[in-house]
Amino acid sequence: MAETKHVEVDLEDIEKICEEFENREGAVVQVLQKVQEKYGYVPGEALELVGEVLEIPKSKMYGVLTFYSQFYQEPRGKFILKVCVGTACHVRGAGLLVDKVREELHIEPGENTEDMLFTLEPVACLGSCALAPMAMVSGTAYGKLSADKMVSLIRQLEEETVHEEETV
Amino acid sequence: MLTEALEDISVASSKVTDLPVIHIGMATCGLASGARPLLELIRKEVEKRQLNLRIIPTGCIGMCHNEPLVDVTMPGRYRVSYRNVKAMTLTQIFDAHFSKNDFAKKYATCQIPVEGAEPYEGLTLMADLPFFKGQVKIVTKRCGMIDPLSIADYVAMDGYKALRKVLTSMTPEQVVDEVTKSGLRGRGGGGFPTGLKWALTQKSPGPEKYVVCNADEGDPGAFMDRSVLEGDPHAVLEGMIIAAFAVGHAKQGYIYCRAEYPLAIKHLRKAIDDARAHNFLGENILGTDMSFDIEIKEGAGAYVCGEETALLASLMGERGMPWPKPPFPAQKGVWGKPSVINNVETLGNIGHILLNGGEWYASYGSEKTKGTKTFALTGSVKNSGLIEVPAGTPLREIIFSIGGGMVEKKIPFKAAQLGGPSGGCIPVDGLDTPVDFENVVAAGAIMGSGGIVVMDEAACIVDTAKFFLKFTQDESCGECTPCRVGSKIMLDILTRITDGKGQEGDLDELVRLSMYVKSNSLCGLGGAAPNPVLSTIRYFREEYEAHIRDKRCPGTVCNELIKYVVIEEDCTTCGLCEPVCPSGSVTWEKGEVAHIDLTTCIRCKACVDACKFRAII
Ligand SMILES: Cc1cc2nc3c(=O)[nH]c(=O)nc-3n(C[C@H](O)[C@H](O)[C@H](O)COP(=O)(O)O)c2cc1C
Ligand code: SF4
Ligand code: SF4
Ligand code: SF4
Ligand code: FES
Repeated sequence: MAETKHVEVDLEDIEKICEEFENREGAVVQVLQKVQEKYGYVPGEALELVGEVLEIPKSKMYGVLTFYSQFYQEPRGKFILKVCVGTACHVRGAGLLVDKVREELHIEPGENTEDMLFTLEPVACLGSCALAPMAMVSGTAYGKLSADKMVSLIRQLEEETVHEEETV
Repeated sequence: MLTEALEDISVASSKVTDLPVIHIGMATCGLASGARPLLELIRKEVEKRQLNLRIIPTGCIGMCHNEPLVDVTMPGRYRVSYRNVKAMTLTQIFDAHFSKNDFAKKYATCQIPVEGAEPYEGLTLMADLPFFKGQVKIVTKRCGMIDPLSIADYVAMDGYKALRKVLTSMTPEQVVDEVTKSGLRGRGGGGFPTGLKWALTQKSPGPEKYVVCNADEGDPGAFMDRSVLEGDPHAVLEGMIIAAFAVGHAKQGYIYCRAEYPLAIKHLRKAIDDARAHNFLGENILGTDMSFDIEIKEGAGAYVCGEETALLASLMGERGMPWPKPPFPAQKGVWGKPSVINNVETLGNIGHILLNGGEWYASYGSEKTKGTKTFALTGSVKNSGLIEVPAGTPLREIIFSIGGGMVEKKIPFKAAQLGGPSGGCIPVDGLDTPVDFENVVAAGAIMGSGGIVVMDEAACIVDTAKFFLKFTQDESCGECTPCRVGSKIMLDILTRITDGKGQEGDLDELVRLSMYVKSNSLCGLGGAAPNPVLSTIRYFREEYEAHIRDKRCPGTVCNELIKYVVIEEDCTTCGLCEPVCPSGSVTWEKGEVAHIDLTTCIRCKACVDACKFRAII
């Protein structure tokens, strides 16, 4: 897995997010969700700042952060490949999809590609089991996938990125 | 004041009916099947032909396997439904309806009655399709029929009528009585009588109470709640507002929704905004002295947070650990105050019950499970999707009539998994089990929240049990040792078995551990975790034994146990299998039967798929 650079965290941003929830201690999960939305993960510095603003002890902050599987302490790829490994998808060969991504991108579940473009994230069930096997990338759901379709999806996302970079 | 608000909206919605309408299924299942690009094509087509019509994105009608679904309703005619619509079919559909005043016979699936309109000749009614015939739609009645983002559409189909009735003519006690009379039991899996739960919360002292909607839907293989949230979000809100009234003027409600459902959250947000704008939420609802508002809380990826006490802990910003009951949420819930917590589908039924009466609802269903139940039908079944049937409908009817039987005609039914990680498998012999709370338990599974995964002979029972145990093991919150450690040891044994290293005595050990984990876990997650293992050992002992003694996987799923061989009699010596093998394990010479070298074979199955004659098994 690639060495990752951490982002810089701005105290003002953190304060603003906490204020949105009226600095309520009970909103800590939502505050952390907003923080993650902003930075793509929850930087250690941000975690401490949130703790200070909401007056929550550090140990409890870590406790909450580590309990929920959707919080990340490391930066993640631009595209999160959420491959469903729920029951229905499992029965319809989700394992093959995960294997294909591992093979194509040389990453294990939870890891990022070196160019920080992709992260592989097996998830429990995306709620469209009738179209199994399923995957979701950036909020868009893809149904009835096969290993080949998975690869073309990856290629397509790569191409889009190249295009974007060219037009910038 | 009260009626005005409602009338304003219904007027708005009835105005458009003299225009043609195109409905397109845009729930997650539709989107995953390419509904978005299709919508663009429809827009282009409309522009090109300069048509004046209304395009309505709808929720899921249940035929997920047939998405994308597009319906066309011409003024004065029934609504025609098309399935698996592609760019090419689209032109023909437009031609038929807008140039020839007809419907596209080749592609139409069925027609749906429209009040006062005329049917087409020679097209089946939706209610007569096998998929819909055994279904009774109450909670999913509006799903797929209305635009979920339009409060006007909701109101036009009796939306918020129950709320008006409750606020103007009923006392909280009468509401609770009506719900009790309906016999409604919690649809989140537990099956606790909803009327009783509300009565308990009502009796709990204190002016500050809360209503919580459990939209965490964590069971893999289940998507009933998602369909309701995406397709009819106002129904859930209406149920919550009525609950707030019934338990004694709760002021605040929360919807705890899992983050994997971005579309459901979006639809709920819009619904809440619109409900506020029309004074169904907020201060002095519809001019009465009741005030109530709803906030959405997104889950952060922990299955155990679906358990009610863990959910409440998470809601308050804690680690989502279950707490021992009592105290029950009805006594001490959010912020230590009495709270009623109900599942999405439970709440979705409330409006219908209050509008039509408890007795009406109780006229459906079986003796102890009243009303209807939604199921997510998936796996190796032909028509997979969302269905709603009267409780007590036999499993056989669900899978073979509504579900249309097995997806691969040649591979027979092996078992149905009901109830997800807390449930179990029902074999062929159990196909006549009426699906309701009691009968499914007697058959060794649970009705649970409504996931039915159909498995054929090509599936492996041991692998399935291992799959569920791995799931619960991953999701155990770790509070109790039996759940955390016991499930790990069980998983190790199962892994050993599927790897071909099973030993005599493994099954007894699994049963012993199961009993221990079941009786020593704090919450339902640990308490039910061994169920998938126990039920499969009960019905499929031989299959476990085949793995352990003969080192053989009858379903050919367990990689380590698979031995691919070419059946000489079936091999046509075509050679298709040879080039696809990535490890060079297939040898074939012209005119000769192919051969597989098992010492180098990596069990990728490529040759099996390549062989058109099913000569490799
Ligand atoms: C491990 C576990 C997970 C659960 N997950 C859910 C869930 O995802 N959705 C749900 O509505 N109920 C779930 N429940 C049941 C809830 O604890 C609770 O019984 C339910 O929300 C009550 O609402 P109801 O009476 O309307 O069903 C779960 C229970 C357990 C033990
Ligand atoms: S049974 Fe399992 S999930 Fe439930 S509280 Fe105990 S450790 Fe946590
Ligand atoms: S593809 Fe099938 S029929 Fe053809 S050579 Fe291979 S095993 Fe024989
Ligand atoms: S299963 Fe895969 S590796 Fe084995 S013989 Fe067939 S193609 Fe080759
Ligand atoms: S199991 Fe994959 S979407 Fe439900």
